[in-house]
Amino acid sequence: MLVSVMVVGIPFGIVARQSGLSPVEIMAMSLFVFAGASQFAMVQLFKDGVAWPLIAATVLLINLRHMLMAAALRPYFAGVSTARRLAAAFFLTDEAFAMAIGWFRRGRTELSYYVTFAVSLYVLWNTATVIGMLLGPTIGEPRRFGVDFAITATFIAIVVIGVRRRVDVAVALTAALVASALAYLGASVIAVVAAGALAPLVALLSRDEELA
Amino acid sequence: MTWLAIAASALATYLVRAFAFTVAFPSTPPRRVARYLDALPAAIIAALVGPAVLVPNGHPTHGHELIAALVVVAIVARWRNLLAGVLGGVAVVALLRLVLPA
Repeated sequence: MLVSVMVVGIPFGIVARQSGLSPVEIMAMSLFVFAGASQFAMVQLFKDGVAWPLIAATVLLINLRHMLMAAALRPYFAGVSTARRLAAAFFLTDEAFAMAIGWFRRGRTELSYYVTFAVSLYVLWNTATVIGMLLGPTIGEPRRFGVDFAITATFIAIVVIGVRRRVDVAVALTAALVASALAYLGASVIAVVAAGALAPLVALLSRDEELA
Repeated sequence: MTWLAIAASALATYLVRAFAFTVAFPSTPPRRVARYLDALPAAIIAALVGPAVLVPNGHPTHGHELIAALVVVAIVARWRNLLAGVLGGVAVVALLRLVLPA
């Protein structure tokens, strides 16, 4: 899992640099936003010229799932001061959640496990960003080598890896087609937020399968 | 503009993470809410993919991006490997642009 952070973080640094963002801007994203898929999305939206409130709204929607994760973790942090919980929250990621909830469900209670793992992810993510950022300019003209397609390919891979049920495929296709239609009709600015917020409703229409 | 977007995104991400960690958001929210939130990230990411594949730069695709996208889906579905999928997709796009320029 720690290796996979590098595998995603280095490409992030590369595509962000290729897209014309400055090193300071790229580092600020990894240091302060610290959310993989969101950061790739931001690079894409910057390229599309989307206004900042819509970029933030998109990031908000992508990360809303963390409310579920934080709520699931909260009982284990009941004995900890609010300041420490606020600090723990900053480092919450899908990976840290997965490791921590597994740990707690095995009956362990040490919070240091979450802290160590979550902070290590943070350090690695930022290290990977720096490496990618330095590699970026060495990879010639983006369009010629298809590098401009790397973000899209990364998104596709993230979606495909995340598919657990058949309805996930329906949601993804709905989102992609609605967004494309909106973009084609000239509404590319709201395409992502609108299609992304609507498509999950498809999951509610399907019969109740258990969450995997 | 870029900085505003970064600051607002950082704030939004942190508030989401901090809210349920400190305020009483139910540990087991209503099933439909959980279902919606669960499906949301993949939907947003797929919404970013759609236009990039079908209407890149505002014009209908010449097919290059679509073929490459299908290659990425095939590679990742078969081997569950993100990096292999990305490298495969990039290689296919580069090749198609070389042999079949738009």
